Amino acid sequence: MAAAGKRKIAVTGIGLVTPVGNDAATTWQSLLEGKSGADYIRSFDASGFSTTFGAEVKDFVAEEVVPNPKILKCAAKSHGFALAAAAEAMADAGISPTDEDSHRWGLSVGAGMMSISYEDLKVVHDHASKDGFFDPDGFISPDFPGSPVKFCSWQTNAGLALLAKQFGIRGYATSVHTACASGGQAIGSALKALRRGQCDKILAGGFDSMLNPVGISGFCLLGALSTDNDNPKGASRPFDKTRNGFVLGEGAGFLVLEDWDAAKERGTNIYAELAGDGNSLSCYRITDSPPDGNGPIQAIEQALGDAGISSDEIDYVNAHGTSTQMNDQSECAALKAVFSNRIDDVRVSSTKSSMGHLIAAAGAVEAATCCLAIKESMAPINANYANPDPDCDVNLIVDEPAKLKIRAALSNSLGFGGSNSSLVFRNPEEVDA
Amino acid sequence: MKDASEKIVFTGTGIVCGAGGTVEDVWEKLEKGETCVGPFEQFDASNWPVQVASEVTLDKRTLVPERKLHKTISRTDMVGIYASERAIENSGILDHREGLGEDEVDAFNDRTGLIVGSGGGSYWSNYDFLPLIHEAKGELDAFGRELGNQVTPMWLLKNLPNNVLCHVGIRAQFKGTNACITNQCSSGIMAVAEAASAIWNGEGDRILASGHDTPFEPEMMYYYNKLGLLSPEAPKPFDSNRSGTVFGEGAAALMLEKGSDAESRGATVLGEFLGFGCCTEATGILDLDPEGDGVERAIRQALDDAGLEPSEVGMICAHGNGTRASDATESIGIKKVFGGDVPPVTGFKWAYGHLIAASGITDVVMTLEALRRKTVPGIGTLESIDSEIGPFPVSKESTEPRSNVALVICRGFGGMNVVLAIRAS
Repeated sequence: MAAAGKRKIAVTGIGLVTPVGNDAATTWQSLLEGKSGADYIRSFDASGFSTTFGAEVKDFVAEEVVPNPKILKCAAKSHGFALAAAAEAMADAGISPTDEDSHRWGLSVGAGMMSISYEDLKVVHDHASKDGFFDPDGFISPDFPGSPVKFCSWQTNAGLALLAKQFGIRGYATSVHTACASGGQAIGSALKALRRGQCDKILAGGFDSMLNPVGISGFCLLGALSTDNDNPKGASRPFDKTRNGFVLGEGAGFLVLEDWDAAKERGTNIYAELAGDGNSLSCYRITDSPPDGNGPIQAIEQALGDAGISSDEIDYVNAHGTSTQMNDQSECAALKAVFSNRIDDVRVSSTKSSMGHLIAAAGAVEAATCCLAIKESMAPINANYANPDPDCDVNLIVDEPAKLKIRAALSNSLGFGGSNSSLVFRNPEEVDA
Repeated sequence: MKDASEKIVFTGTGIVCGAGGTVEDVWEKLEKGETCVGPFEQFDASNWPVQVASEVTLDKRTLVPERKLHKTISRTDMVGIYASERAIENSGILDHREGLGEDEVDAFNDRTGLIVGSGGGSYWSNYDFLPLIHEAKGELDAFGRELGNQVTPMWLLKNLPNNVLCHVGIRAQFKGTNACITNQCSSGIMAVAEAASAIWNGEGDRILASGHDTPFEPEMMYYYNKLGLLSPEAPKPFDSNRSGTVFGEGAAALMLEKGSDAESRGATVLGEFLGFGCCTEATGILDLDPEGDGVERAIRQALDDAGLEPSEVGMICAHGNGTRASDATESIGIKKVFGGDVPPVTGFKWAYGHLIAASGITDVVMTLEALRRKTVPGIGTLESIDSEIGPFPVSKESTEPRSNVALVICRGFGGMNVVLAIRAS
C-alpha cells in the first residue's frame, strides 16, 4: 500500500562513475565481488601525507565519455564524473528533454565543497604571497595568470549549470551540500519536487572529488581517514572491530526519476519506486555521531512513514557505514532501535567497504546501489569484515553477496554536522501487487 | 501535495548587512536613499580598480557572543548565525517551547526544521595553506609531511559549507527536516521556498529559512572585475549609465510556520508565503537568455503557484544587480508577463550591495518590510532610466505599492531564476 495521495515516482535510469567502475554495470559487478577500489594515490604524490592511499576513479577520460566534450572547458574533475554518470543515466532511461517538455525537467544535485586544486592554489602562492603570506595586490599585478574559465568551474553551482546545459534541462534546479549526506538529500529533494508537481522528470544525483592535496589535507588534519598505509585494500572495513577511519573516494552517481504512471505507459524498465525520504538533524556535535542513534532514527522513521510502509518490509539496508568507530556504532544503534526484534532478519552492508567514501556523491551512488540490488535480487557484500564488534552486531552480508528478493531497501547517509538522510526504495513487484 | 487551506506565515525575521543589523536600520537607509556601499576594511584595496563594497560593521562579539565558537567557524558563518538567531528570537517560538511539557518538547523539536542557503566556502580559507606551500618549496611530499605543523586541525570544520545549519541547529535543537543549499545566488531565496514547500508537504510544522554570504574577497573581486561584472561605485540598476554590481556581505532569515499554529500561540504574523517559481535557462555558468526566458517563466510559475493574477501584484523587488545584461533581460522578462501594466519595481543592491548567496533572502526580508510600510523605496542611485529598457516603473523616489502582494526576483549563475510571491499582513 503506497502512501495515500502521494504521486508515485519511478527510478528509470542509473549512471555511475566510481572507484570500482566507470559505469553502472562494472561498478555493480565489483560490489558483488567486494572488489576494493582503494590503492596508493596515483594522481599526485601523496607519500608525505599521513594517509597515502584513497579510492580513485581509474582510467577515466572525460573527453571520451561526455557527449559534448566542449562543455568540459569549464568543468572541474568532479564535474567530468557528473556529466559522464548523468549521460549514462539518461541513456539508460531512454529519454531526454525535448523542446516541448524541457521546462518540466528538473535537476537536483549534491555537490562537493568548493575546492580549488593544489595547482591553482600554487598560482596564488607564486603570484600573490610573500614568504607564504597572502598579499592581495598580487592579483592585480599585470602578470597574474588568472583564468576566468577556471573561476567559473569553482562556482558552487558550476556542476548544476553544466548539467543543465548539457542535457537542456530548463525546469526546477537545486544544488545542496550537507557534507556526506548531500547525495541522499539531493535525491530526497528531487522526490519532493516531483511530488509537489514542480516537474515531471528529474535528473538527480551527486558528484565529488576531494582526492587532491587540499581536499585530503582537511581529512588528514581531522584524523578521520584510515592510516593503514600498508594495506589500502583492507582499510575500509565498516562495522569491523578494528576499523580506524574512512577511505576517501571520488565519483558520481545519477538517477533519472519520473512519474510512475508515465514510466509504465512508455513501457520502460523500472528499477524501483523511490518511495520515501527522511531527513533530520542530529543536533549533537559537528563531527561526532550521537551514540544512541538519536537523529538517524528520526530520519529512518520519516522515510518509512513517507513511503507508507512499516520497517517489516525492509529486507536490505545499504548503510552509511563509513568505517569510523563512532559513525558505525551510532548507525547500528539507530538500526536496532528502528528494526527492534526484526534486526536479525534485515541484511546490511556498507558498500563503502569497496568504493570508499564518495562524500557528496556517496548518498547518490548508494541509492543507485539499492535500486540495482532490488532489480537483481542480490545484495552486495560488506567487504573486509573479519572481527565482530558487539556494538555493531547487525546481520552483515559478508563473504558473498546475498541472493534475496528485496521488498524494500533503505539507504542511509549521515553527514558531518549531523544532517541525516534516509531513502526508501520499493520493489516494482511490490508496488504493482 | 500543497494543502491550499493551510497558510504559511512569517513570524520572525533577522538581517545583517552593510546597512545595519536590524530591519529598522536597513529600512532607514533604503527610505532615505542612502547607499551603504563604500570603502571597506577587510583588505587593503587602495591599489585596486574597484575599492568599494558594502561591509558589515558589527563586531564578532556582537555577531556571535560566544568567543569559543569564533575559532571553529568563519566570518560567513558568524553573520549567518546572527541573522538566524535574530529571526528565531523575534518569532517567539523558543518562549513558546519553554511552556511545553517534556514529551511535547521532543516532538516540537523533531517537527522544527532548518534550511540554509550558503555561499559554500571562501577563498580566504585556502590561503591557510600558503605558508605550508612556501615551507615545502612546492614539493608535495614535504607539503604532506609538514601539514600537521602548519595548518590547524580544525581547518575543514571551520570551512564546512553547512556550518550555519549545524551550529544554529545544535544551539536551538531544531532536529527536523533540513538542507543546506549551495546554488550560488539562488541559495538563500530557495531556502525560503523549500521551507514553505516542506511545511505544505507535512515534513515539518515550522522551519527557519536562512541565507548567508561574505563574498568580497580579493579573489572574487579580481575575477568578477575581469569578467566585467563589477562597478567601481554603488550600482545603478536599470540606469543608462549602469556599469556592474558591487559586493555586499551579510545574512537574512525568516521563521516560517503554519498559520494555524501561529494563531494558536498568539504570534505576531508579519506576512504570508504565497508561492514560488524556480527554473534554469540552461545557458551554462555565466550566459543569460537574451529574451529573459527564465525570468518570465519563473514569474509565471510563482503567480500560478500562488494563484495570483498579474494585476494583483502590488510591487516587484527586482534582482537589479546593475550589470548591463542582467538588468536588460530582467526587464524584458517582467514586461513579457505584465505587458503595459507593470507594478512599481525596485531593487536594493544599490543600497547594500550584492550578497550573492544571501541576496535573494535579504531582499525578501526587506520587501516584506516595504509592503508592511506600504512604501516602495526608490532606487537611490538612479539618474536616468536606460532608454533601451524603455518605459519601466522604476524611480529614484519612493512610491506606493498597488497592493499588499509582492514578487521578489533572484537570478544567479547557471541561468537560475527564482521568484517568490509574498503578502504582508
